Amino acid sequence: MRLQGKVAIVTGGSRGIGRGIVQAFAREGAKVAVVYKGSQEAAAALVQEVTQAGGQARAYQADVADTASVEACVKKVEEELGAVEILVNSAGVIHDDLFVRLEPADWNKVIQTNLGGTFNFCHAVAFAMMRKRAGRIINISSVAAEHVNPGQTNYAASKGAINSFTRALAVELAKRGVTVNAIAPGFIETDMSAAVRNKAGDMIKEMIPMKRIGTPEDIARVAVFLASADSSYITGQVLTVDGGLSLGAVAH
Amino acid sequence: MPTQDEIYTKVSATLVEALNVDEEEIRPTSTLQGDLGAESIDFLDIVFRLEREFGIKIPRGELFPESIFQGDPDFVQNGRVTQKGLDELRTRMPFADLGDFEKDPEVTKLSDLFTVELITRYIQGKLSSQ
Repeated sequence: MRLQGKVAIVTGGSRGIGRGIVQAFAREGAKVAVVYKGSQEAAAALVQEVTQAGGQARAYQADVADTASVEACVKKVEEELGAVEILVNSAGVIHDDLFVRLEPADWNKVIQTNLGGTFNFCHAVAFAMMRKRAGRIINISSVAAEHVNPGQTNYAASKGAINSFTRALAVELAKRGVTVNAIAPGFIETDMSAAVRNKAGDMIKEMIPMKRIGTPEDIARVAVFLASADSSYITGQVLTVDGGLSLGAVAH
Repeated sequence: MPTQDEIYTKVSATLVEALNVDEEEIRPTSTLQGDLGAESIDFLDIVFRLEREFGIKIPRGELFPESIFQGDPDFVQNGRVTQKGLDELRTRMPFADLGDFEKDPEVTKLSDLFTVELITRYIQGKLSSQ
């Protein structure tokens, strides 16, 4: 088990990619704090599932966009599970619309949750990790940061900023043994991407050289790698995990 | 009130932890940056640990005056600390011995002021004024 006894926080942990990461971390022996905002039932069900499988997980409610809520959440995790060694920022939202029609509220919501949430959780754990000279921060970005789509100015901006933030924070914490990396998933089978997948149907698969949509497990395996000792010399990187989508091949 | 030796011993122990160095590497004249390899993020940690160790509050910029480090044009010009900057240093760091530095106030040499001795003197001043 590669994460035996390590305390990990996974935001957006009750659903989608975060959920897959919680399961994978628990299988590797980590004590996982599942952070959810509104999906209490999903979080409770996941905790039960993990526990029944012999893993350790606990649910924590927090609004990632709210600094005070995040600080209180991290404090509670530290008290109940111990010092946080791994942080995965997976909480994210989309509010797509064409830019000229985009409501400022939808801009703010996406930036505050995706980027602000990443900031809030990193800020709440970084100093303690730095002082312990150990820590892993993994931010969930998106291929949509670099390979943009119409209607996603807010989402692309938030994820592009996460990539830059990841590099800049990596430089600050490198000397103290804390690595900061990001994963940029392509199309993954989650509730968040369901609308796009429904609309585009098989066309999406055709765009992906591997001819299949990714699963949360595809991302979770990479997250385990970035959280484990296997990746100790990697920092400030954005790892694209998309079945080749972003290679941009027109015919394959 | 602890003696100077006691303060020095505690300061050394703090630096051993904060900078991950061996105790034998630490001398009163060791510079934090040059000799002990401290970086900006380490200064934050050192301040935090000293506060806890000695039960004092170290206001931002008091022990390590950032305005001068960051090259405020009033205080630093052409890589040298200006007269105004030197006055500022004297006011802000009464615990520092600026004698040598004033002769050739190159801003890159500013970090040489920050020795284990200086921190010890600073803490001593803080504790006696409590």
